[in-house]
Amino acid sequence: MMEFGPGFWGPIVATAVMLFGVGIAYLLLLASRKYIAPKPSSEKLKTYGCGEEVKSEEMHVDSEQFYSPIRRAFKPFYKYVQPEHSGVLSTYLLWVIAGLIIVLIAVMLALR
Amino acid sequence: MIAHAPILAIVVPLFAGFLTPVVSIVAKRFGVERARDWFVMGAAILMLLIVASMAPAVWRGEVLVYKLGGWSPPWGIVLAVDGLNLLVALIIASVVSLIAIYSVVYMERDSGLEKYYTLLMLVTAGCMGVTLTGDVFNLFVFFEIMSISSYALVAFRRNWDSVEAGIKYMIIGSLGTSFILLSITLMYGLVGSLNIADLAGKIEAIKATQPLPMIVPLMLTLFVVGFGIKIAMVPLHAWLPDAYQAAPSAVSALLSGATTTVGVYAMLRVSYMLFGALAIGTMFIILGLVTMVVGGLMALTQRDLKRLLAYSSISQMGYILLGVGFGTAMGIQGGLFHLLNNAIYKVLLFMCAGAIVYRVGTSNLDELGGLGKNMPITATLFIVGALAISGVPPFNGFASKWTIYVAGMEAGQPICTAIAVVMSALTLAYFLKAINSMFLGQQPEHLREVREAPLPMLFPMLVLAVFCVVLGILPSLGMDLVRPAQGAVMNQLGYIGSVMGAG
Repeated sequence: MMEFGPGFWGPIVATAVMLFGVGIAYLLLLASRKYIAPKPSSEKLKTYGCGEEVKSEEMHVDSEQFYSPIRRAFKPFYKYVQPEHSGVLSTYLLWVIAGLIIVLIAVMLALR
Repeated sequence: MIAHAPILAIVVPLFAGFLTPVVSIVAKRFGVERARDWFVMGAAILMLLIVASMAPAVWRGEVLVYKLGGWSPPWGIVLAVDGLNLLVALIIASVVSLIAIYSVVYMERDSGLEKYYTLLMLVTAGCMGVTLTGDVFNLFVFFEIMSISSYALVAFRRNWDSVEAGIKYMIIGSLGTSFILLSITLMYGLVGSLNIADLAGKIEAIKATQPLPMIVPLMLTLFVVGFGIKIAMVPLHAWLPDAYQAAPSAVSALLSGATTTVGVYAMLRVSYMLFGALAIGTMFIILGLVTMVVGGLMALTQRDLKRLLAYSSISQMGYILLGVGFGTAMGIQGGLFHLLNNAIYKVLLFMCAGAIVYRVGTSNLDELGGLGKNMPITATLFIVGALAISGVPPFNGFASKWTIYVAGMEAGQPICTAIAVVMSALTLAYFLKAINSMFLGQQPEHLREVREAPLPMLFPMLVLAVFCVVLGILPSLGMDLVRPAQGAVMNQLGYIGSVMGAG
């Protein structure tokens, strides 16, 4: 048991409750399978796009666009900060110098 | 405690590193090449036992002071082991032992393995030296041993990407170590000592004078930036994604689990112990938040698993900085607990990435899919690591993150805490993307015959996953490990008294 001021966290109890929930969900899943046993034919498993069969290799969600709504929400970050991660060493060294100046100002303010 | 344990913890990996090529030649001559791997594994486990033997005395509250050559501080070099560096030494020794086991199979397709194991042991010796020394110039020397060996390990495979990443890491890292050396030089010029305890006492005396010499903030800044490069604190993080992606996964695991931990240790030792600088906590909080957010948002859009893990490492460093930046007992406990947990699940995740690369040959998320059927154990272990790093209960990441959140609320920083909670959700989001891309969905034709990772690779991953669960279900075990370290961070006078009293 971890206690923090007025709150506490009982990890063993919480784990037991979570495992119990997982068990119930699994039992429900097993029970539902009795009545809905999917047995699709091989034709039904094929995927088509514009009348052409799409191979499994081509059905991958683009990893970069996976969370495109979040990318839109943080548009300024992805517009200005991400391109600076360009792999160009001189840019990275400039960042280090910028970091040095920022930390120096912060330390001087803190220790003044 | 094993006699001479502090120095043996450094000497064992150092000598093992130089003996590895000799053992390799002898083993080849007798047709038992695996003897080299067993030798390195044995050295790593011996080092772990040596470090563990110091634990009972340190946990009783002692500061173990080992005088090299019998010279008393501040004239001679001392090794000083308190709760903080014992915790870090235990993390390093455990991580290196598991990586040595993992490397036996993971690295078997590479050539020049005697060089790999030599460098692995030299990084370990460097890490141990930085951690255990009580002398700031020694700290620099061991930091250089650790760093230079790391540059070589990143470029180990000698393809275009790894050499480019190694050179970038070397140039930026060298700039960082130059800052550290410059700071040590300025410090020696100011107070005329190199012993950490002696320096702390003398700097404290100088700080009592008014006005504070301009050189003191400059020294602290150079240290923070130098070590900040090693822990990839934003905006000093740029070398890390390239290095972690290009290095063999065992090396990425070593860098994320051992060298980064050492960087955090060095920064804490210098800023809190040497400068007693609880005042710069606000700076750590701000840099921690920026590091957390930038790392998290960059991880979200990565196509490569190892690059995603690299940005995730940066993000997790933000939590550690945030926790220690609060400056309260609970904040520092949370930060150090997260340091321990981060070493566990980050090494686990890089090992899982290595298992996938070993079997499939790529870590590009767009070329993977449906591997959960072929590699069920790796998939399960990756999911455990992913849930742990995302702070999902009942895994260890939840316990340390929650401690940091509570510390944040108690320190009157609800906005910082809210940002940390949101970033934790974002961590879960990008790990769900990785799980979906690798283990779920349609399986490409060329992955139909993929098999599960070999047992010697699965074993260390399994051990780490067990730790993720055990430290989550029984967080008091982790807190008991971390509490002496937190006590050491906050007890500057006790450290000074123990080391200087040893004269």
